[in-house]
Amino acid sequence: MRNRFYFWVLFLSTSVLLIFAIFAAYRAFSPEWADYQAEYKKELVKVVKDEAAKSKARSLPIEIQQMYLADLNGIDRCTSCHIGFDNPLMAKSKVPLKEHSGDYLKVHSAEKFGCTVCHYGQGRATNRKEAHGLGHDTHWDFPIIPAKYLQSACAQCHDAAMLQAKGWDQAAKGEKLVNEKGCRGCHKLNNVGGVLGKALEGVGSKPIAYFPMGAVQGEKTTYSWFKQHFIDPRNLVPESEMKISVTDEEADLLTTYVLSLRAGEMPKQYRRLAITDGAKQPADGETLYKRYCIACHGEGKDSIFDETFNHTVPAIRNPAMLRALDDKNLKKIVSDGRMGTQMTSWKATAAGLPERDIEELVVYLAKNRPAGKPAAFSFPISKADPKHGETIFKMRCALCHGKKGEGGLGLNLRNPVVQAFDPEVLAVTVRDGRKDTPMPPFGKDGVNLKDQDIADVASYVKTLAQRK
Amino acid sequence: MNNTNQTGISVFKENLKSIGKSFSASFLRSGRPISDRSRAAAMFNNFFLHVQGVKTHINTLRPGYTLGLGFASFALLMMTVFTGVLIMIYYNPSIENAYNTVKDINYVVFGGRLLRNVHKWAGEGMIIFVMLHMARVFYTGSYKQGREFNWVVGIALLVCTFGINLSGYMLPWDQLAYWALVIVSNIIQSPKEITDSLGITQYFDIGGLSKELFLGGLHAGKESLTRVYLLHIMLLPMILFIFLGIHFWRIRKDGGLTKPEHFVPSAADTEYLSLPEKKGGIFTTSKTYGLMELAHGKTPAVGKDVEHEVLSWPNLLIAEAALFMLCFAGVVVYAFFIDAPLKELANPLIPENPAKAPWYFLGLQELLSYSAFMGGVGLPGLALLGLALAPYLDREQDHVGIWFSNQQGKKTALLSLVVGTAVLIGILAFAINFGWFRNWWPNVPQLLITLINPGNIWVGFMIIWTVFVVRKTGSTRMGAIALFTMFLVGFVILTYVGTELRGPNWGFYWFKSQWPPH
Amino acid sequence: MEGLNKAQNGAAVLFCSMLFSFVLIGTVQNAYGADSEAVSGKKIYEERCQICHGEKGDGKGLASNMRRMEKSGRILKVTPRDFTRGVFRFRSTATGCMPADADLLRLVDVGITRSFMPGHKDELKPEEKKAVIEHIKTFSNRWKDEAPCDPIPVKKPSWVGSKSSVEKGRIIYKKMKCWECHGDDGKGGGPKADKIKDDWGAPIPPFNFTVGALKRGGTPEDVYITYTSGLDGTGMPSYEDSLNEQDRWNLCSYTLKLMGLVK
Repeated sequence: MRNRFYFWVLFLSTSVLLIFAIFAAYRAFSPEWADYQAEYKKELVKVVKDEAAKSKARSLPIEIQQMYLADLNGIDRCTSCHIGFDNPLMAKSKVPLKEHSGDYLKVHSAEKFGCTVCHYGQGRATNRKEAHGLGHDTHWDFPIIPAKYLQSACAQCHDAAMLQAKGWDQAAKGEKLVNEKGCRGCHKLNNVGGVLGKALEGVGSKPIAYFPMGAVQGEKTTYSWFKQHFIDPRNLVPESEMKISVTDEEADLLTTYVLSLRAGEMPKQYRRLAITDGAKQPADGETLYKRYCIACHGEGKDSIFDETFNHTVPAIRNPAMLRALDDKNLKKIVSDGRMGTQMTSWKATAAGLPERDIEELVVYLAKNRPAGKPAAFSFPISKADPKHGETIFKMRCALCHGKKGEGGLGLNLRNPVVQAFDPEVLAVTVRDGRKDTPMPPFGKDGVNLKDQDIADVASYVKTLAQRK
Repeated sequence: MNNTNQTGISVFKENLKSIGKSFSASFLRSGRPISDRSRAAAMFNNFFLHVQGVKTHINTLRPGYTLGLGFASFALLMMTVFTGVLIMIYYNPSIENAYNTVKDINYVVFGGRLLRNVHKWAGEGMIIFVMLHMARVFYTGSYKQGREFNWVVGIALLVCTFGINLSGYMLPWDQLAYWALVIVSNIIQSPKEITDSLGITQYFDIGGLSKELFLGGLHAGKESLTRVYLLHIMLLPMILFIFLGIHFWRIRKDGGLTKPEHFVPSAADTEYLSLPEKKGGIFTTSKTYGLMELAHGKTPAVGKDVEHEVLSWPNLLIAEAALFMLCFAGVVVYAFFIDAPLKELANPLIPENPAKAPWYFLGLQELLSYSAFMGGVGLPGLALLGLALAPYLDREQDHVGIWFSNQQGKKTALLSLVVGTAVLIGILAFAINFGWFRNWWPNVPQLLITLINPGNIWVGFMIIWTVFVVRKTGSTRMGAIALFTMFLVGFVILTYVGTELRGPNWGFYWFKSQWPPH
Repeated sequence: MEGLNKAQNGAAVLFCSMLFSFVLIGTVQNAYGADSEAVSGKKIYEERCQICHGEKGDGKGLASNMRRMEKSGRILKVTPRDFTRGVFRFRSTATGCMPADADLLRLVDVGITRSFMPGHKDELKPEEKKAVIEHIKTFSNRWKDEAPCDPIPVKKPSWVGSKSSVEKGRIIYKKMKCWECHGDDGKGGGPKADKIKDDWGAPIPPFNFTVGALKRGGTPEDVYITYTSGLDGTGMPSYEDSLNEQDRWNLCSYTLKLMGLVK
C-alpha cells in the first residue's frame, strides 16, 4: 500500500514534469522572433515575382539574427524580429518587418553599427519587452528612444556644424538654447559653469537610479525626466532653485541636446567629430553674458525679488549701479562670487572661467556705465554721527534692507563688497538713489534728507558688519 | 581459441548480433531483480546504490517520519549541480562579461532561461530543505546513539550550503550581486568593531585582513569575482561532496536512520516483503558488521532487530524515485513561472538602498544592524557552536526515533515556540519603536552596545529559558528541544523582519508600498 | 443789567467773542480730526509710508519701481496702493464698501505676504498705528461720505476640505469659469489672464494658487472672505450674489486643494 502510494507520487510527478517540459519546449521552440520571421517569409513569398526568388524565400532559415559589434562591445539581436529592416521589398510592410526608413543604412551599415548605438534599447534581448527596455521590471537603463529625441545619438560621432548642414539640427538647437538661456550659470558643462546645479558631464548616459523618479509622469525614463524637468523643475525636485521658462518644443530640443551629453567616447573609427568645445573658444562679452549670467540676472537692467532664490537679484547692467561700482570691484565680485548667496565664484579655480573671459564680461557690463562721475559728496564724514544714523536707518532703511541690514527687497548691506566701499560712495548712493530699482534718492531730489543725515546713515551702514 | 564447431566468421557474426545482450550482462551482472537474492545483489553490486543498505527498516520508509527531507536536499543538490555544469558552458567570470553571459543564457541558449531558473530555485530550495532536515534530525533525537559526529558533519554541510548559495548569488555581477558582495565583505570585517573599541586594530586587524582575503583587494572588483567563482564551482562543492560522502558513509555505519526502540508496525507497514523465517543455524538473525564489531559490540546496529527490515530494492528505491521526481517536478514548475531575478549591471556609484544580502542572510543582517561584531561573527558563531555541541551536551539516549521524544517534549517545544515568538517580537518591537543606546545617549561607547544589544538580549533569553527548562524538567533533552525551537523561531522571525519589514536605510516599514521613492 | 457802564459792556463783548472764537476754532479743528493726532499721523506717514505710497497717497512714491519673479518665471510688477480712490482689496466688508478700521490695522501690523508691504507690528505703538490710519483716511473723500458696512459673518462648516466638498467645488470652479483667468491648474495662466486690468488700467495677473497661501492669509476663512467680498480694484469680483454660502464654502475646499493644503 505504501509502495502504491509512492508509485502514484512518482507517476503524477513524472506526468507533471513531462507536461511542463513540453510547455517549456514549446516556449523554447517558438519564441517571439520565430513568429515574426515566419510572417516575413510569407510576405516575401507574396511580394516576390519569380519562382526562383519564391523558393529562396521559402527556404530562409528561422534563427536568431545578430550583429556582433566588437569595437562597440555589444551584440545587437534586434534584427531577429526586425527581419526586413534592409529589404526594400518591405518598404510598405508593418513594423517590425518594415524596411528601415531613410537612407541612413547606406552610410551606417548595420554590420558595423548595429542598432542600439542610435536607437538604444537592450540589443542582447530576444523578446520585445526586454529588447525595448521600457518598464521598471526590465531593469534596463536605456530604453528605446522616442523618435523626437533620436538626433541626440548623432552627436556621439558627428559635430554640430555637419549635422546642421544636413538639417539634423535638433541637438544643435538645444545647445543654442543652453547658451542663450544661461544654463551654465548653475550647471557645469565641460568643467566650466556654476555650482548651484549638478554638473552635466555624461548626464545623458546616467542610469535611471541617478535621477529622482518619484514624481515623473508616465514611463520612468531619463528622457521623460529631462523633459518634465525642463517644463517645471519643482515638480520633480521640490527644493530646486532652477529658473527656466521654455515652451514644449524648446523643452524637447533641450532634452535632445542633454541626451547627447554622454560619458565616454565612441571608438575612433566611428567618429567624424571635430572635437571643439564652444565654451573654450574665445567669446565676446555678450555671448558670455548669455551663456552664464542671463538665467539669474535676466537683462540685468531691473533688480527683481526672486521668489525661487528668496533673494533680490541685483541689476548688474543698471547704469546707476555701474556708476557706483568700478571695474575692479565688478571683476572681484564676478571672480569671487558672494558667499552665502547664489552668486557663484567664477574664477578659473572655482567655476572655471579663464581670466580673459571674466575681463570680457566686465567690459560688456561696463558698457552701460554712464559717462561722468556723480557729484561729490561734500559733507565731511568725520563729522557724521553713527548713533543718529542708526535712528534714521531703523525708520527709513530697515523696511527694505532689513533691521540688521541683512537684505530683503533691498540688498544685503553687510556684504563685504558693500562694506568695502568708502563711506562717501555709500552717501552718494543714498543721496542719488538707483534709477530703475526700488532704491529711491534720499537727498534733495527725493526724500530731501539733509547731508548731515545722509552722512550719519552712511557711517552707520559701515558699522553693520560688526554688529550681530 | 575457438572451441566450438562453428567457423570463425559465424562466431564473429553471432557475437555481433548478441552485443546488446552481452553488454547488458556485463553491465548488470546481478541479473534481473526477480528474487530476493538478485534484489539484494542489485543493491550491493552497484557502485552508486551500495551506499545504501541491502535492507531498510520500515520506519525509514514511513513518509511521516523523515518527510524525505534529507533525500530532498540531496535531490535538489543533484539538480543544482547538473544545471550548474550546463550553465558553466556559457558563463564567463570576468566583470566585463559576467552580466552579458548571464543575459545570453536567458535570451539565446536553448532552454537557458529555464535552466538558470532551475539552478537558482533548486539551490535556494536546498537551504530551506537542509534547515528542515536539520530540524527533523534534531526533533527525532537522531543525533544520539553514536550519531553525534554525523550531526557535526551535517552542520558543516549546512555551512557549505549557505556558502555555495551566497557565492552563486554574487556571480551575475548585477546590482543585487555587487551590493550583496559589498555587504558580505563588511560582515566579514565585523571583528573590527571589537578591535577598534579595544584599540588594537593597528596591531591585529583580523577583520580587515579577512575582508581583504575575501575580496582579493581593498574593494569589491574583478579579483573578488574570481575568488567567489572559485569558491562556488570548485572549493565549496569539493568540500561539500567530501563531507556528503562522509555523511552517507556514517549513515550506513550507524545502521541506517534512527527508529524507535520499540517499533510497532502499523497497517500500512505490513504489505512489504518480509524476510523468510530463519530456523536453526548457529547465527541468529541479527545484523553483523564484521567480526571486530561483533566482538566489541561497538556499532549501533549490532544486535538490533531485523524483523522489521525490508529489501531496499524496490521498497526504498521507489520511495526515493517518487521523492526525486516530486522535487524535480516542483522545481521545474516553479522555475517555469518565476524567473530568477537579474537587475541592472553592477554600478559601484549607485548603491541599492536598502542593500540587502540574499534572504537567507537577512536574519543575520538584522542582527548586524544592532552590532556589527555580534551580528556578523559573535552570534552566528555562537549559534553554530551551540548546534554543533548539542549531541555532547544532551547525552540522554532514550526516546530516540520519536518526534519530540515524548509528550513532555511536545509540550516543551510548543511552549518554547510560543514564549520565544512573544519575547522576540517584544524585543524587536521595543528596539524598532524606541531605538537603542545611541538614540538616547549619543556618546555611549561602542563596546557597551556590542555587549548589550537586542541580538545579545535575545540569545541571552534563549539561554536563560533553556536553563530554566533543564532545571524544571531535569532533562538535558528537554533543554535541547527548547533551545533548538528558540533557534528556529529566531531564524524565521529575524529572516522575515529582514526580508519584508526593512526598507531604505534599514528603516522599519510595514509594507513595501510605504517605502519613500528615490 | 442796569448800571453796567460802556466799558464793562465792551469787556463782556470782547470776552464773549473770544470765548466764541475759541469754541469756533475748537470745533473747526475737531472737524478735521483731533488736534495732536493729525500731526503725528502725518509725520509717521512721511517717514515710513510716503516713500512707497507717495506724498499724496497715490502710490507714486519714490521707491515704487518694484518687481517680483514667481517660481514659474512670471514677473509681477508690484505697485503700492493708491489711497486716493478709496478702493481696497483686503476687507472684511462686502464689495463696494469701505474697509473697517480693523482691516487697515491688520494690514499695518502684518503687511501683505509676497508683496513689499512690510509689517509694522513691533515698530509702532498702537496709538501711532491708529494715527497713521486716520491720516491715510484723509487721502480720499470716500471716507467722509461713506461709513464702513458691517463685517461679513464667517462661520466655517466642518465639512470644508472633505473629498465631497472638494469635488463640488471643482464643478463650481468649472461652471463659474474661474479657469478662464486662473487656469485649470490654478496657476493663473487661463485664456483671459493676459487681458485683465485693474482699476488703474495696469495689467494685473490672476493669482497662482499653487504657491500655497493667499496674500491675505492661508486659512479657509481667508479664502471664503475673498470670494464673498471680492478684491475691489482688481479683476476679482465678489461672488456673494452669484453663489450661495454653501457653494462658496465648497469653492473654498477646491481652492484649498489647488493650494495644496488639502489632499
